[in-house]
Amino acid sequence: MEKKEQKRHQHKHSGPKAQKKNRKKEQGTEPEQDERKRNPRAFSVQSAVRMAKTFHRTQDIKTKKHHIPLVDRTPLEPPPVVVVVMGPPKVGKSTLIRCLIKNYTRQKLSDICGPVTIVSGKKRRLTFIECNNDINSMIDLAKIADLVLMLIDASFGFEMETFEFLNICQVHGFPRVMGVLTHLDTFKNNKTLSKTKKRLKHRFWTEVYQGAKLFYLSGMVYGEYQTQEVKNLGRFISVMKFRPLVWRTSHPYVVADRMEDLTDPEAIRLNPKCDRTVSLYGYLRGTFLKNKCQVHIPGVGDFSVADVSFLPDPCPLPEVIKKRALNVKERLLYAPMAGVGGLVYDKDAVYIDMPSGHANQQQEEVRPTTELVQSLIGTQATLDAKMAASKVSLFTGTAALTPEEVQENEKQNPMESREWDERAQRERRRAVFADEDEEEEEEDDDDDEEEDDGEQQSDEDEDDEEDEDEDEDGVTTQKKHDKKAAETAAPPVKKQKFEKPVEMPAFADSDDELENSEGEDTEEDESEEEENEENEDMEEGEPAKRCSGPDSGLCSEDDDEDDEEDSDTDEDGDGTVKSKMSSKHPEEEKIDTDDAEMGYETAGALRWKEDLAQKATEAYLRHQLAAPNLRKLVYGTVAEEEEDDSNDDEELGGLFKVNRPEKSKKVRADAMDCSRFQPDNSHDWDQEEMLASIRDCFVTGKWEEDKDAATLLKEDDELYGDFEDLETGQVHKAKTGNKDQAEGGNDDETNGGDDDDDDEEEEAPQVKLDDDEVQKNKRLEKKRRLKERFDAQYDDGDATYFDDLKEEMQKQAELNRQEFEDVDDEIRVQYEGFRPGMYVRVEIPALPCEFVTNFDPHYPIILGGLGPSEGNVGYLQMRLKKHRWHNRILKTRDPLILSLGWRRFQTIPLYYIEDHNGRHRLLKYTPEHMHCGATIWGPITPQGTGFLAVQTVGGIKASFRIAATGVVLDLDKSVTIVKKLKLIGYPYKIFKNTSFIQGMFNTVLEVAKFEGASIRTVSGIKGQIKKALRTPPGSFRATFEDRLLMSDIVFLRSWYPVTVPQLYNPVTSLLMPVGQKDTWAGMRTLGQLKHDLGIRNKPIQDSLYKPVVRQVRHFNPLHIPKELQKGLPFKNKPKQMQAKGKTPRDLQRPAVVREPHEKKVAALLDALSSVYAYKNKKARAEQHAKHKEFLKQKEKQEAEKQKRLKEERKKTYRAMGQKEKKKLKSSLKGASKDN
Amino acid sequence: MGCNVIFSPSPSRLLYVCPSRAPVALSLGPARSRNTCVVHIMEFEGCNCFRQRLVLSTLSGKRVKIRNIRSKDDNPGLRDFEASFIRLLDKVTNGTRIEINQTGTVLFYQPGLLYGGSVEHECNVQRSMGYYLEALLMLAPFMKTPLRAVLKGVTNDPTDPSVDLLKVTAIPLMTKFGIDGDGLEIKVLKRGMAPVGGGEVLFTCPVRRSMKPVHLTEPGKIKRIRGTAFSVRVSPQMANRIVDSARSILNKFIPDIYIYTDHMKGASSGKSPGFGLTLVAETVNGTFLGAEVVSTPQGQGDPVLPEDLGRNCAKLLLEEIYRGGCVDSTNQSLALLYMTLGQQDVSKTLLGPLSPYTVEFLRHIRDFFQIMFKIEQQKAGEDEQKGGEKVLMTCVGAGYSNINKTIK
Repeated sequence: MEKKEQKRHQHKHSGPKAQKKNRKKEQGTEPEQDERKRNPRAFSVQSAVRMAKTFHRTQDIKTKKHHIPLVDRTPLEPPPVVVVVMGPPKVGKSTLIRCLIKNYTRQKLSDICGPVTIVSGKKRRLTFIECNNDINSMIDLAKIADLVLMLIDASFGFEMETFEFLNICQVHGFPRVMGVLTHLDTFKNNKTLSKTKKRLKHRFWTEVYQGAKLFYLSGMVYGEYQTQEVKNLGRFISVMKFRPLVWRTSHPYVVADRMEDLTDPEAIRLNPKCDRTVSLYGYLRGTFLKNKCQVHIPGVGDFSVADVSFLPDPCPLPEVIKKRALNVKERLLYAPMAGVGGLVYDKDAVYIDMPSGHANQQQEEVRPTTELVQSLIGTQATLDAKMAASKVSLFTGTAALTPEEVQENEKQNPMESREWDERAQRERRRAVFADEDEEEEEEDDDDDEEEDDGEQQSDEDEDDEEDEDEDEDGVTTQKKHDKKAAETAAPPVKKQKFEKPVEMPAFADSDDELENSEGEDTEEDESEEEENEENEDMEEGEPAKRCSGPDSGLCSEDDDEDDEEDSDTDEDGDGTVKSKMSSKHPEEEKIDTDDAEMGYETAGALRWKEDLAQKATEAYLRHQLAAPNLRKLVYGTVAEEEEDDSNDDEELGGLFKVNRPEKSKKVRADAMDCSRFQPDNSHDWDQEEMLASIRDCFVTGKWEEDKDAATLLKEDDELYGDFEDLETGQVHKAKTGNKDQAEGGNDDETNGGDDDDDDEEEEAPQVKLDDDEVQKNKRLEKKRRLKERFDAQYDDGDATYFDDLKEEMQKQAELNRQEFEDVDDEIRVQYEGFRPGMYVRVEIPALPCEFVTNFDPHYPIILGGLGPSEGNVGYLQMRLKKHRWHNRILKTRDPLILSLGWRRFQTIPLYYIEDHNGRHRLLKYTPEHMHCGATIWGPITPQGTGFLAVQTVGGIKASFRIAATGVVLDLDKSVTIVKKLKLIGYPYKIFKNTSFIQGMFNTVLEVAKFEGASIRTVSGIKGQIKKALRTPPGSFRATFEDRLLMSDIVFLRSWYPVTVPQLYNPVTSLLMPVGQKDTWAGMRTLGQLKHDLGIRNKPIQDSLYKPVVRQVRHFNPLHIPKELQKGLPFKNKPKQMQAKGKTPRDLQRPAVVREPHEKKVAALLDALSSVYAYKNKKARAEQHAKHKEFLKQKEKQEAEKQKRLKEERKKTYRAMGQKEKKKLKSSLKGASKDN
Repeated sequence: MGCNVIFSPSPSRLLYVCPSRAPVALSLGPARSRNTCVVHIMEFEGCNCFRQRLVLSTLSGKRVKIRNIRSKDDNPGLRDFEASFIRLLDKVTNGTRIEINQTGTVLFYQPGLLYGGSVEHECNVQRSMGYYLEALLMLAPFMKTPLRAVLKGVTNDPTDPSVDLLKVTAIPLMTKFGIDGDGLEIKVLKRGMAPVGGGEVLFTCPVRRSMKPVHLTEPGKIKRIRGTAFSVRVSPQMANRIVDSARSILNKFIPDIYIYTDHMKGASSGKSPGFGLTLVAETVNGTFLGAEVVSTPQGQGDPVLPEDLGRNCAKLLLEEIYRGGCVDSTNQSLALLYMTLGQQDVSKTLLGPLSPYTVEFLRHIRDFFQIMFKIEQQKAGEDEQKGGEKVLMTCVGAGYSNINKTIK
């Protein structure tokens, strides 16, 4: 960003380099020769070996660049890119999102709450999610983020959260990460600012990768970042490319941006803690999602999906891509949890935002989203009101039909529709609707006041009812106004919509829309009338929807029958208004009173039978014709089974046997299980016709036109027909066959040639044109073939395995894209599953009530799809390494919280290390700086999936929370970890090399098990267990390689298998009360438990350190036998220096006792002698000094003498040399003279 | 392997424990340990499609409960061959949990992980080895270690596809899905005919991480017909008589026919007499269509003449050719399963008319994997003489990967 203009290189104008260059210029006017040509020897092959080596090296480098090509499975219309904004608190996350949203959509969002989806460009949508400072959220969001905006407070520097998040990302596949530095305006000094920037940048680079993008947001203007900077950031986001991550491309997932509780309010009233049925909405990402699959909701648990359906995109990309930028209407914003585009989540209610009242202009802006909302509101009116309000126009431009008219129609002919099985209908009613009907009636009595507590949020609103009077302001009142308007007359907007059925989808309620589209899909002709009808249907269909529970699908009973009916009526021909209305009548009837229903029933039943036979034949014909029937035969729908085409043949087209599970179930249930397909008895292979029918299956049969040998040969002739045999000089001409004639025919024809015998005369000019076309095509074909041949010849040498593979993948991707392209979405979904990019609604039953009651939109809700058998649990072997920043090593059997796959769960790992012989040896603690193995009891997750471990998710205690990271290696249902067990025994009887050992075992049986096992003493003598002894029990005979001592200890090293505790405890952080979601605490470690309970382990006395008391060692004297002594040499003989014994008394000399005089004499003599000694010493010192001086002198003289001598010698040598020279010269002269 | 078969004493008490239930109470307000794992049980009735259900359950990891197994029968409950099949599954898996009630009318099956390795199994003689081998073919590529199974029992009988037929048709089919290499083979070590058996077959298969998508839309034309006429404990002349009669019919179509005669003697001839013929037609595109006929087992029904048998077999082959497609009728379900378990790509296969067994299999695939096939009928052209109608099966793979294989 702030790259400076680099200084350009300046050429030298003076100095040796410049001179050299000048010289070169002057001389070298001749063109620059190729290095190779100029100096061929330098490039010649010096050594073949080296050449080969370099060649290999370059090839290696080349191949290393290749990645295994993958099939490109990115959807055509990708889901919005998930942009996670992450950072420690108070760093400016919400502000940044707000600014970015403003930048993209020109709208202001006050509260960022839940995912916010916007259209950012012609081909890109973005979903912004803010990540709060909870490690649960961080883990979940790292798994779904496509791009992470990592906010860093520059004034503070990096915080631990940043690094933790980066490490989480690393484990779960690295999404794109972009750093954003904020709070840069706090730096007053420019130099410190740039220094900090540089420091932070380099640190960031070491974490992410060299050259990772780091963005700087320099300052705030009115509480927002600078527009230009935000714009730049937005541009970066818009052009960013993402790479597929393995986990995400193999698992479907939905980031829910809307949640609705569908539980029966009555059930909640009876038991407020009953399990809830919840529908979650969001864009599907990753890969195809199958209906009725298993999902994991991180923070809640595993659930099986009851139903998935797709909805119209609430935030669609612009339909037509134009050259210009997006206009305001196309810049959509969808954030239901934040209150835009739908719903506002309050603590105990869901509010629907209706911007119509206060800001007309704004409504215009966000119309598509509010339409959805409006329709939602629309569905909340009671059915009567809706019926009254609804008008149907069957053709555009005609007058709308009022309900009264419709009613009339009904009364005229109430028949047909009774084809609906009444039973099913009534069942539905009974389920939910019956009491609700009553409610509605009551509500009608109460007039309009309570109209609005109808639908989805009825449970919440029930609580609200008392308060309603008080808070009749803002949203609620607004709602009411609208309701009233809706009841009294169709609101102008609505009316307009009805008249324009084209715009219907955006207007429709989501569920209804689905139903409609279901209706549409199987019908071939989508006439306008039908659409109108569907409009009506949409209004009415709502209650039905609610009773039956939204339809999965796809080919459910009523839909099918609906289709049947519709098509029937279509076939009836005229498609008159009346028949239309009547066919639609059952749905309307639903809302009628019971007695009326009864009345119709009888009438309808009769009508239903009227043209049964005709219908049946029609159905049969359709079955015969249409391909989907094959599908029905195999997959069969409920409707199909109950259909009344009883006269359908047992065999269809000689291909399929009709299976009627209902009827033949008893027989089939225990049928023979055999894969053999019995042959058709009607085929008699003795007959010629039968034999002829498979004639072409053999190479001897007739070939297809394009593969026939004759045609192929001819084509070859065309290509290679003309050639000249160089040896003989013969020229071969291609045979001019039919084709050539045809080719030349053009000219002939213009000349009036009559070659073309096939053509009819009257169509001649037309045919001529066609012929032209044909010729042209032929020529093109020929050209193509030639080119192909050429390519094959010349490219094949270059084509590698890699290229082939890539091409294959390309083809597969193309096929994947094309196969279901033209199939209708409803059908397509059945084959493929829901494809990524769709906006889906996922209904999940049996969710814990805390999920709803403690719902907090700030926490992400992710639906992670699970693959087959990923819902099971088993033992996982994983490679694990303690994180180097985590300051403690991990202990075996201490519970650990793992994030693996979609899940977060607590489990008890056992650590092990693999010995050289493949044994898995238990470790008590993880090694400090090394990988080790870990085995856990946990959810089955594919091998190669990364995981991370934290010790706790509650609160922030540890300095660096990520305790370990690793990867899953293997899955199994049993474990192989062993720990070392040393059995100790003591000898009680010792023979030569045999000993009897006791204390190692307790019974004879135990010994028998270990017979032949190797044992060892502490001193290292190896042995083997031989046989058990009878008494004492458990003792045995063993042999050793040497004789034991009684003091020896014998041990047996054995391996004892360890069991892994089966703890799998999902972290249910989302179920915690609001505000306490980051306080989930699972099982405590032993250490924590002891700490909490105040238990302190008493140390084992024996293992305490005591002061070392060493006994003085006493060595016995060395004793050498006399014999040996004799033989020793004198040197080695022990010296017999016996201490002198006491001198005998007679030899002891008596002490001298001096007389005083003698003492005096002795003293004098002493004094004299000491004087003398002193004198002597002095004299010697003098002498010594003198001698030293003398030596110095002498040395000097010697040196002088040497010098002199040297000079003298030099002189003499020189003289001698000269003499010699002279002599030599003279002798040479003499010689020359001689010569 | 570590598996437990529990025959619980009372028929009504069928205990199973979700092993994932956490032993600790969570720290939630209302203390309940909930949904640690979804317990998803597929329930079926009757012994029909017994193998399919267990095999798909093993592959998908879903538990299966089958009720009312021959509950109305005079001899209720599982038959010996089914029990033997369960044992075989038990041998190749680890951690499988099987519970059968006292009468054998209710079976609960909780699959473990496919382990593989060296397995030896004594197959029950009520069904031939094809019954067991078909299931093993489906499971073998998804094991932890390459499977090396030695099956003992009946190699050929009239009800099930024989080992020879699977050898010549299923193995080349498997190679198309990327399961190839030296390890893949079926070898008849000893031949054992129907009533008593005594045969021995070695089946080895390498493991794969995932299946390749296939596009088998062009069966191609048949270029040669090969076959094996075998006879055990009867005159070796029988085989030659079979060959002659079979050739008499097939020679009308193609001259490249070679039928081997395989007469096994002594220890490798099993315990019962019998003879039979396996024919296979190979097309230029590598499609193998097979047919076989075996003599009626000793002491059951009328004896057949070898000439009749040869002719019948040739006609069966013609019938198979008439049905056509890229996969023959016995292996349809195998091909469809491999397509289902492929990567998330579109696979296509042209089949002949779907057999009832295949139709059932398709339904089960939908139940276990939520995969539906797009089924398109292809009518033969007017002037073409290529047999009956074909069906083009298209599906998107489930993205299944072998979770059993260890990575180092």
